[in-house]
Amino acid sequence: MKITLFEQAPYRYLPPDFDLHYESVCSTPYFPLVTGDGVYSSIRDFMDELALGARAGFDGIAVTEHGQSSYDMMPNPDLVASAPAHLTETEGLEVAIFPMGRSLGKSREPTRVAEEYAMIDVMSGGRLVAGFPVGLSYDANVNAGVPPMQTRPRFDENLELVLRAWSEREPFAWNGKYSQYPQVNIWPRPLQQPAPPVWLTGVGNPRTMQTCLERGFGFNYLSWFGAKLTGKRIFDRFWDIADQVGVERNPHRMGFLQTVAVAETDERAEREYAEHLEYGFRKGLGSIPPEKLGLPGSIDIRGVQALLKDPGDFGLYYQMRTVTFRELVDAGVVVVGSPATVREQLIEFCRDYRIGNLHAMLAFGSLPRDLTMKNIRLFAEEVAPHLRGLWTDSGFQHHWWPERLGGVPRPVQPSQEEATVR
Amino acid sequence: MTLDATMPAINEEALDVWAGRLTMRVKVAGAGAPLLYLHPAAGLVWDPFLSHLAERYTVYAPEFPGTSAGDPYAIHAVDELADVVLVYEEVTRRLGLTRPVVVGQSFGGMLAAELAAHFPALPEKLVLLDPIGLWRDDVPVSNWIATPPEQLPALLFHDPAGEPAQRTLQPPDDPEAARAATAGMVWAFGCTGKFTWPIPDRGLRNRLHRVAASTLIVWGREDRLIPVAYADEFARLIADSKVVIIDDCGHIPQVERLEETSAAVDAFLQPGPPSSRPAVQPSNRRQP
Repeated sequence: MKITLFEQAPYRYLPPDFDLHYESVCSTPYFPLVTGDGVYSSIRDFMDELALGARAGFDGIAVTEHGQSSYDMMPNPDLVASAPAHLTETEGLEVAIFPMGRSLGKSREPTRVAEEYAMIDVMSGGRLVAGFPVGLSYDANVNAGVPPMQTRPRFDENLELVLRAWSEREPFAWNGKYSQYPQVNIWPRPLQQPAPPVWLTGVGNPRTMQTCLERGFGFNYLSWFGAKLTGKRIFDRFWDIADQVGVERNPHRMGFLQTVAVAETDERAEREYAEHLEYGFRKGLGSIPPEKLGLPGSIDIRGVQALLKDPGDFGLYYQMRTVTFRELVDAGVVVVGSPATVREQLIEFCRDYRIGNLHAMLAFGSLPRDLTMKNIRLFAEEVAPHLRGLWTDSGFQHHWWPERLGGVPRPVQPSQEEATVR
Repeated sequence: MTLDATMPAINEEALDVWAGRLTMRVKVAGAGAPLLYLHPAAGLVWDPFLSHLAERYTVYAPEFPGTSAGDPYAIHAVDELADVVLVYEEVTRRLGLTRPVVVGQSFGGMLAAELAAHFPALPEKLVLLDPIGLWRDDVPVSNWIATPPEQLPALLFHDPAGEPAQRTLQPPDDPEAARAATAGMVWAFGCTGKFTWPIPDRGLRNRLHRVAASTLIVWGREDRLIPVAYADEFARLIADSKVVIIDDCGHIPQVERLEETSAAVDAFLQPGPPSSRPAVQPSNRRQP
């Protein structure tokens, strides 16, 4: 079992009534809500916490990309990831650097993505794990201006270009629908050849799952909507597709993000974390308007029909703007309590759904630096050690982790179209 | 003028175009000279305005690629607006239309203007109903694609509680049909949005001088999607054009103010001695 520290970079000092007046993305007014000191300490604490995670023994450090967002000030996760990449190299920490990561449905400069990842892989001495989300509608379509219907095909095309740019021996011309380059020959190339481990991110779209399984990518499920509500649907769907595709049920190909808050006792955990969890989900995800998660054209018409009939994949999302601590716990949006409480729930969940990579989100909303540091330390010392051996005796190898960190990477499979051409 | 026109018999033609990569479905009704109608972003709805036109014309109403029932992925056959314009030109040739009147609403208005700019001899006359396609920083066009569904009525209609608005936005009673209609509209916004997102300006301003057809520009005075200021913008750029502004009217004049809109269009298309013209309230008209 690999366990990463995952954090977003929210602005931590929003007014209490923020969620009554503002959306958390795109339209959120910056200057009335933000001070220089507030944004400096939000980012400074966030970076320090990532560094603590690396030193505390997490297997990886993970971040995501969101532009024009008050809940995750992360216009480019590679800028952030490069800092721990260098820090861990100088301090001799064997930690994966895991941007989850650059949105390829958004990117208008795909070779830049290939270059940034290659650079991080070199800086870290071959410890990059490369995540590629398609991109949420508000980020890809509003922030980057990509027509919603182009998001998915742009992602597909950009992914092929990035994979090729990493490993092709000779400079090549790229005549894509969305980008054209007379000569692609990036410097440097990743140390991990032909590619660092590749992970795609999804929230339940069967097509993304199938792509991961057919091509040998890892699959990250970011469980924002309440794992107790959505987990069984999503994971059963994934493993059913694995059976259909004829791929072994290797738990290491599955990543799962869970918000966790650990304190000395259950009672103390609630007392210390509840208000910050409510802040995080009400003012973050809960304040993203639904239409900005899926603009017309970004979701296949069959997907729209399926969502209208059964919005279950979205779990608690529609109540998130006024959600209470108790509702967050009951839905499994958050796992909160003493180390014993937390590890018991996580072990059961990961075992039941064959999860081989846990991304523990240990900072959220307004959680101050000292409490975040405590959460990270307690999780690293009293929770993670009990989870790490979960799949040790399963007989499955981890093919989606860097070789330097004990993984046994395998080359990705060409896409169906590519296979046909060749 | 007969605005109680009953629904005419509507036939559908399916044309394989674009070297066989795309099937265009065209609703055809009425009798008389040809009239090509290009629908707005939400897809084709056969409404009383079209029934009215079908009393004097043979109305040909193609469905935009991807918006036809059962063929959603047709949209993937076209990627560039210039290709879409060529597809529509091919459709008019395949239908054998000689100098049709071309009428377009909103997104369809942009398409009609593009068609007339690319092929100046194609339209006999051009009618643009609150067309999109231009952009002014001082009066930005509203982003209808990103508008939450519950706010669309207020964006599209001057009186969202009025009967025309309610009739247009009424979902089917059957839940399955209602879901299919919602998904269909969402997808239609996506298909047409391929050529309007993120800013509905693909350079039409630079091409409008090529429009040679006599052009009627109709605008709802209270249009909140694309403000009435754009009427003069179109008129300035199209040489032989005139503007009619409809009062107490939002973005869809042929639905919200059917009588006034039909009267203005009829007067433009069939000029004759004043006595034979449909009655039009003077306050609703403006000659630039």
